[in-house]
Amino acid sequence: MSDKVFTNITRRGFLGTSLGGAAMLAAGPSFAVGKTLNVLSHKVHQTVLGSGSGDGDLLKDWRTGNDAEIVWTTFDSNPLQDRLFREASLNTTDFNVGYIVDNRPTKQIAAMFEPLDSYLEKDAIEDFGDIAPGLVQGMTVDGKLIGIPVRHATQGLFYNEALLEEQGISAPPTTLEELVEQAQKLTFTSKAGTPVAGMVLASDLAVFPVMFARAFGGDFINAKFELLPNPEAMEKGLTVLRKMFESGALPRSYATTKNDDQVTWLQQGRAAFTVLPFARNAQLNNKEQSKFPGKIKAIEFPISSDLKGKVPMSSIVEAWGMVIPANSKDKELSWKFIKEVSSKRVTLGMARNGNGPVRVSTYADQSFVNNPVAAVEAEVLKNARGAFPPFPEAARAQSIFLEEVQLAVLGRKEIKEAVASIATRVKPLLQA
Amino acid sequence: MRLNKITEALPFLAPVQILILSVIVIPSLYVVWLSLNASSFGQSATFVGLDNYIRVLTDPAFLLALGNTVLIVIFAVHLELALGLGMALLFASGLPFRRVLLVAVLAPYAVSEVIAVAMWRFLFDPDVGPVTAMLTWLGLPMLDWSFEPSHALIMIGLLTIWLHLPFTFIILYAARLAIPKDLYEAARIDGATAFDAFRRVTIPLLGPAIVVALLFRYIFAFRIFSEVWLMTQGGPARSTEVVAVYLYQEAFSFNAFGTAAATAWIMVLASLLLATGYVFLLRKQVAGNVH
Repeated sequence: MSDKVFTNITRRGFLGTSLGGAAMLAAGPSFAVGKTLNVLSHKVHQTVLGSGSGDGDLLKDWRTGNDAEIVWTTFDSNPLQDRLFREASLNTTDFNVGYIVDNRPTKQIAAMFEPLDSYLEKDAIEDFGDIAPGLVQGMTVDGKLIGIPVRHATQGLFYNEALLEEQGISAPPTTLEELVEQAQKLTFTSKAGTPVAGMVLASDLAVFPVMFARAFGGDFINAKFELLPNPEAMEKGLTVLRKMFESGALPRSYATTKNDDQVTWLQQGRAAFTVLPFARNAQLNNKEQSKFPGKIKAIEFPISSDLKGKVPMSSIVEAWGMVIPANSKDKELSWKFIKEVSSKRVTLGMARNGNGPVRVSTYADQSFVNNPVAAVEAEVLKNARGAFPPFPEAARAQSIFLEEVQLAVLGRKEIKEAVASIATRVKPLLQA
Repeated sequence: MRLNKITEALPFLAPVQILILSVIVIPSLYVVWLSLNASSFGQSATFVGLDNYIRVLTDPAFLLALGNTVLIVIFAVHLELALGLGMALLFASGLPFRRVLLVAVLAPYAVSEVIAVAMWRFLFDPDVGPVTAMLTWLGLPMLDWSFEPSHALIMIGLLTIWLHLPFTFIILYAARLAIPKDLYEAARIDGATAFDAFRRVTIPLLGPAIVVALLFRYIFAFRIFSEVWLMTQGGPARSTEVVAVYLYQEAFSFNAFGTAAATAWIMVLASLLLATGYVFLLRKQVAGNVH
């Protein structure tokens, strides 16, 4: 018998326990059940997949078949891109798949992601040719496919039919001039006692002034990287916005209005018109959120009367794609996920959940045709293109553009002077 | 012998030193290195010397942001100090329902900045805000913060005062309560009026607390971000931007890490410069107490 106390810590015991513990921690992953796929996206990308909602979960079978769990990390658009690029710049990342917006992949950015052409050759996506070629082009940099299109947000003109009727307007506008006229007529106090603004637009996105410029045949930066290809058209677009602001058809709070405000203003009947992606239709008409369910309708943003019937209106479309960071692990699993999300079945399911479908065939599907905005969205998409192409200083260029637009619309700068200033200040950024 | 003592003490000091090195010193040095390079995502860093500093200091947007920051700091911090001092004296003089009122005064400090800004945005909404409606009903001019940059800066100043007044108040109130009553009694016997007692007793004895409150608030106010970002995002047309918002834009919107790092160091130096007078005053007071 020994009277030694066994709880004493000896050097040998301490070292042995430490080494054993470290070895167990190192072997930790082998104890995990199945695999984990980490996805970095916007919340909407997760929501449209019906993740975690029982029967509505579009990836339920994929999860079971691959014995994999999907862990979503979601952010708002800009922080999402920042985090994705930050992760892709590290030596290694835990994120297997990321969502990228089509105006971000420059040559430098594209280099941080896996080229997907070889994956496509080896293990093809179902009927890849069905995915809109323009969207695939947006994810191709220097001839290399770096992302698979998954969502598009095409901008349309939303209007509150009830307010139009209240003011005796029987049909929505067919030209930009009619839109301005109606917006001014719809700047009034409604029967419910709500002060209504003709139109509500966020001032922190290039989408809206670019749409007005395009209605006159102009642009900010086109696909050939031409800056202000038609300055007079930009001046006309800004003149319209300024007149609307001066007449009150654009609210006094224009300079601080954000994208989310557009949704709530329309839902509450505080504005008669706005420009938003067609995919917002369900949210705008949601019975629990909107005071006008079923009364908020969408049409194509109208072109000016001078161009009507001569050239089609080129609305703005923003597309998202799925990418695999070059420094990530288990790229085969990432590709399997991308393949499944891009399949016809999942694309259709996501479209029913409010996603802008990237497959042409989805618009022809009988179960989607009943969507109130599907037909008009498909029509608008034919001529739609991005607000501006990707280039390294695109974010700074957009900021300068918006600064000058705000000065012009608020009446702090002459419109000609503001447009000239955009040209002078943005040009060096394009050259760089 | 001395060396031996240092060697023996080193393992005990090491955790703190390692912590300071890893969370302050090394990141600061990394930011210095970053500020001397041009870099972005997917692009390796290129040494550019002091070019980033020159670019920032000659950028009109930065100079405007710096001007706005200094304006907000001077306006908000001093007004907040005057209000905090007044309230501390009022509370110390004896108020009915003191505890309830104390909770009411301290409440803004418990409100998250994001919620506070959302609340103020609604209250002062130029179209449907209750405060705007009340001002209009009273025939007073409204705060046109979404259109007039000067109004937006006033709004941001008022909001930051409302949010941080409890901090200044509690420091001054605690210091005021620490002043012995005998001193006021002696002053009264010597024939001092209430104002004399305030000038000759209260202010000198509250001096160190005032300097500490000012110093902290100068540093906090100089890095003001959320109030501006959530209220105006620096608009209209970047006219209400402050230095921290400028830095955020450079780093996270434009991904220009070199200029963002240079802005960070300029911010540190500028806030130190602003607070220098108070630092010297504090040192003088500390030295005075020692003697």
